[in-house]
Amino acid sequence: MKVLLADENSHRAGALARLLEAEATLDVILVEDDTSLIDAVRRHAPDIVLVDISRADRDALDSVRALSASGLERPVALFVDEDDESLMEDAFAAGVCSYNVLDAPVTNVKPLLRAAIALYRRFRNTNAELEAARKTLSERETIDRAKFLFMKQERCKEDEAYRWFRKQAMQQARKIIDVATDYLAHQNRNPKQ
Amino acid sequence: MITTCRIGLLQLADSAPVLVARSMGIFSRHGLDVEAVVVPSWANIADGLVWNGLDGALMFPPLAIMTALGQRGRAIGLRPGFPVSRGGNTIVLRGQKVDHTEWTAQADKHRAFENWKNTLGRKPRLGVVHLYSTHYLILSRFLKNLSVCRDTETEIVIMPPARMIQALAAGEIDGFCAGPPWGADAHLKGLAFIVAGSASLAPGHLEKMLVLKEIWKSQNPDGPARMHAALTEAIALCHDPAHAQDITHLLSRPLDANGLGLPEEAVKAVMPGSRAMADTMMFGGQNGQTGAACGWMIEDMQNEGWLPAPMLETLRTLGWYDC
Repeated sequence: MKVLLADENSHRAGALARLLEAEATLDVILVEDDTSLIDAVRRHAPDIVLVDISRADRDALDSVRALSASGLERPVALFVDEDDESLMEDAFAAGVCSYNVLDAPVTNVKPLLRAAIALYRRFRNTNAELEAARKTLSERETIDRAKFLFMKQERCKEDEAYRWFRKQAMQQARKIIDVATDYLAHQNRNPKQ
Repeated sequence: MITTCRIGLLQLADSAPVLVARSMGIFSRHGLDVEAVVVPSWANIADGLVWNGLDGALMFPPLAIMTALGQRGRAIGLRPGFPVSRGGNTIVLRGQKVDHTEWTAQADKHRAFENWKNTLGRKPRLGVVHLYSTHYLILSRFLKNLSVCRDTETEIVIMPPARMIQALAAGEIDGFCAGPPWGADAHLKGLAFIVAGSASLAPGHLEKMLVLKEIWKSQNPDGPARMHAALTEAIALCHDPAHAQDITHLLSRPLDANGLGLPEEAVKAVMPGSRAMADTMMFGGQNGQTGAACGWMIEDMQNEGWLPAPMLETLRTLGWYDC
């Protein structure tokens, strides 16, 4: 069975390909960069297409059935499992969906879709962790910059500067990062000579 | 109590009322916490509604109808929504207006189309934003008026509106029918010239509605009324030329700064009150219109063979069709 993977995130596409290739009956193909989804389907004639739902060109696959000009001999359509709504909800929440060739022999798509959901979730979690780490880093940087500016302006030591920001934050019931951001913005607008 | 609502929309200038209501605090004044979810394509709007990603969406009636009927996933019984905008779609063709004066001068538009087609050296590839769109129906009417056979003499290519300009520049398509401001943008960038639009093919037609899921309505019994009140205020602001400049700025802001990342000059040209184009946007519905306003669309959709008799019955029950 030929499976086409359409995902512009090459790391994720590669990981999903490796996962699926463990199954010997699957022939896995990746959509090349700069190739539209519909051209890739035309060229490779897959049985199943697993698509990253944020790919803007998947609308084209939606319309294949109705458009005679699509040039596809084998019509494809969004895979929908009406009996397993949670599978469908999980798939869209994870960011992946499947298009199936309508005249292909009936195959069990669900294990494939489940594998894709698991992998997409794992990538989403890793990304969220990365994003959180990045945010902590940039917050740290902002607080440091505000602190050093304060030290320069007020001719004080680092621990004194930090205490000032902490006190402001407590008094205003805000986070230190917000106080630091405001302080930097204020200093930028009204630089002391 | 604050009611939350996730509304899906695309990078289009007629999404303005939702953005305005959000950024000016109109939603929160009405007790609503609205998340504007900008999605990359119309398929994501339909899937979001069907599989619980969204509570509502700004969308055109044909896609709402086909989604309601389960032609994209399971049937979810969407009812007609709150009218948000009318018109504003334009059809553009590759080239410069000065080289194609026959479009304005010549009464024989079929001839004009043939002459234009000959400059391409291939079957014209025309972009449309989705099959189940007002744009597809309008473009079909346009071609029919010119006695051009859509299915044999042109090739219809489906792509999201925000992709059209790039596709035109790259030679993937030779023209398109899309919502505001993309037609104006193609014209201003010198990529294409405007030949027709909503105003000439279906004047004042209903374009975007705010469709809310029935389950959201039942969970939030006073939600729809508050939503309508907030949008009515935002629509009045959007329709008033005095606010055009501020709204243009808002829509041109980058996506990560709560804007829609739209080209500023093009948005300016399509705002209500602008004299730059025939197809400027209109916000709000006409009095008492919902079902009847979709009449021409349902008729055209029937002619396309999309709505067999049992489906029409369902549409009637859902309130889309009153005859």
